[in-house]
Amino acid sequence: MTLANGTIGTTYTITGIQTDDEELNDFLFTLGCYSGEKITIVSMVSESYVVSIRDGRYNIDVNLADAIAVEA
Amino acid sequence: MRIALAGNPNSGKTTLYNALTGKNEHAGNWAGVTVDKREALIKKNLSSDKELLAVDLPGAYSMSPFTSEESITSSYVKQEKPDAIINIVDATNLSRSLFFTTQLLELGVPMVVALNKADINDKKETKIDTAKLAEELGCPVVETSAISAKGMDVLVAKVAEVVGKEQFAPFVQGNIDLHSKEAVNTADRKRFDFVNGIVSKVETRKVLTSEKNKQDKLDAVLAHKWLGIPIFAVVMWAVFSISQAHLGPMIADVLVGWIEGFAEMVAGSVEDASPFMQSLLVDGIIGGVGAVVGFLPLVMVMYFLIALLEDCGYMARVAVVMDRFFKKVGLSGKSIIPMVIGTGCAIPGVMASRTIRNERERRTTAMLTPFMPCGAKLPVIALFAGAFFSDASWVGTLMYFAGILFIILGALLTLKITGTKVRKSFFIMELPEYKMPSLKVAFLSMMDRAKAFIIKAGTIILVCNAVVQIMQSFDWSFQLVEEGMESTSILASIASPFALLFIPLGFGIWQLAAAAITGFIAKENVVGTLAVVFSITNFIDVEELELVAGATEVAGIMGMTSVAALAYLMFNLFTPPCFAAIGAMNSEMQSKKWLWGGIALQFGTGYAVAFLVYQIGTLMTTGTVGDGFIGGLIAVVAMVAIVIGLIAKGEAKADEYALNGKVAAK
Repeated sequence: MTLANGTIGTTYTITGIQTDDEELNDFLFTLGCYSGEKITIVSMVSESYVVSIRDGRYNIDVNLADAIAVEA
Repeated sequence: MRIALAGNPNSGKTTLYNALTGKNEHAGNWAGVTVDKREALIKKNLSSDKELLAVDLPGAYSMSPFTSEESITSSYVKQEKPDAIINIVDATNLSRSLFFTTQLLELGVPMVVALNKADINDKKETKIDTAKLAEELGCPVVETSAISAKGMDVLVAKVAEVVGKEQFAPFVQGNIDLHSKEAVNTADRKRFDFVNGIVSKVETRKVLTSEKNKQDKLDAVLAHKWLGIPIFAVVMWAVFSISQAHLGPMIADVLVGWIEGFAEMVAGSVEDASPFMQSLLVDGIIGGVGAVVGFLPLVMVMYFLIALLEDCGYMARVAVVMDRFFKKVGLSGKSIIPMVIGTGCAIPGVMASRTIRNERERRTTAMLTPFMPCGAKLPVIALFAGAFFSDASWVGTLMYFAGILFIILGALLTLKITGTKVRKSFFIMELPEYKMPSLKVAFLSMMDRAKAFIIKAGTIILVCNAVVQIMQSFDWSFQLVEEGMESTSILASIASPFALLFIPLGFGIWQLAAAAITGFIAKENVVGTLAVVFSITNFIDVEELELVAGATEVAGIMGMTSVAALAYLMFNLFTPPCFAAIGAMNSEMQSKKWLWGGIALQFGTGYAVAFLVYQIGTLMTTGTVGDGFIGGLIAVVAMVAIVIGLIAKGEAKADEYALNGKVAAK
């Protein structure tokens, strides 16, 4: 599944980033968003997700949420 | 000695830089405000009289750059060999920040870690053992709170201590094949594992970041799907209302009283001079500059309020709310940041478009940012709002959101003309914590911009007004123009042909044309020139506590209907910005084609909008269309035809991409 079908308040383990945009992949990595790491959906605002990765809070859009493969 | 400040975005580098150097650089509570490096000497009382040069760098998450401003940071610390690095670490996000820290430590440049935002940690009862952290990293760690300038003396003392000494990197990547994606990835994972190890040793956290908190409750309202935009509208209305209808005019009244007194005093002392010299000095220079400076309090109050907004963390939420709409026209929420900065001044706004990775998005943003009403346009708005409309605050708010609307339409047009299919774009924005905005920061930011405003008024505006006064006093045979023969002056004869073009827009008189033209040098000039050409010494009434003296009188002198005034105002706001901002557009776009396209779009927008406002408004108020309707219609239809032609070409291009099986990404 991807983060886009995740539920609010749940912490998932990232299994991979599905993108051919290598730079985006590298960028997410530096935030600590890569396979094996945890990601939590905190809430949804304006059709986008508020997530917590490590100790940072980010807003990500549906496209990006859909590119983050996760497992419960 | 050069000391580089490096750290993650929004870790507080610029705030720390300001605290160290006493400078007043623009900082905001979101990622990516600083897009260029800058340097200044550290305050003498901190540096114990040594020459220490602090270098502020754009934020970066790692040594491998993602956007152009991040590459400034990595290449500076790698190649320019600073004598020391202050690594600003956001203490609330140690587990992410230390990734970059360990990379910096590998450079072999003496380093001190400034553990910033320690005060937020205290509130959340997160404890960091700094002694242990220093031991693990092998470099000194100093707790700081840049916002209240705490820990600066210790920080500078530590820097002086480490310079010239050797430090050992706690984590060394070792000799890996940098071209092998896999090898780099494995090494980076190891680095993060190492960071995790340190964090688990030094940090105790009571409140987890992943838990819902008060901030989320606030987000749920401020960044709400439907409420987000109305709330933003109310906030901006409040900004305009306070600055243009309440607090601003109150202060302006006092200031204008002083200016009047000064003008009278000067007039008294030059009584014996020639009438031309008298009018040049009193009407031209003091009158013109005074008319502009009279609006300074309005601009200052506005800057103060905007600084508060930027500092509290709300602007990142505005970006989130706007992303949905901007995405539909091929921009992203990131584009809102340059536009917010552009509300202060278009030049740094245009420069801030550098944080946008996609070239087309970046150029489009740089092209459209000047549609925002900047500080220089504010006096123009205030003047027309006061002279022609009863309540000043709604005019400002309307212009602000009209600016956003034109940005969205302009972006859509650009998308069509460049033949780009809306590509799948990703949006990620760090959400900074909300905080009480600092009054001190807002005050300093306001004073800094006020200083710039006064300097501009005393230089460019002064010279322009003097030139305008001279040009309207003489005719082409260099004889003084007699009263009643104003239309023979040099100024009138230059401006008249332009005035013809403006007839369909409702302001086809040379005085207004001249003011609009001087506006390209600096937008404040519109106000200054109007004061000079209509010999109105000041617009703000001291006695009546009214923003514009005898509003109907001013309106009468200018000889315009309210509809024409609105058209004139919008023409001035939405035509190309001042030359300096066009210069900034040029350097960010790096393409002459885009630059000229952008200027053409801005001219077209200004003309078409003014035409529609004047003609439709006149039709609604008087029942017939205004002057020069046919001529203007032909011009606007021609513009529309050109645009349709360009769109058709763009679509052909898009189809071509599709046929070739290419992704029309750029």
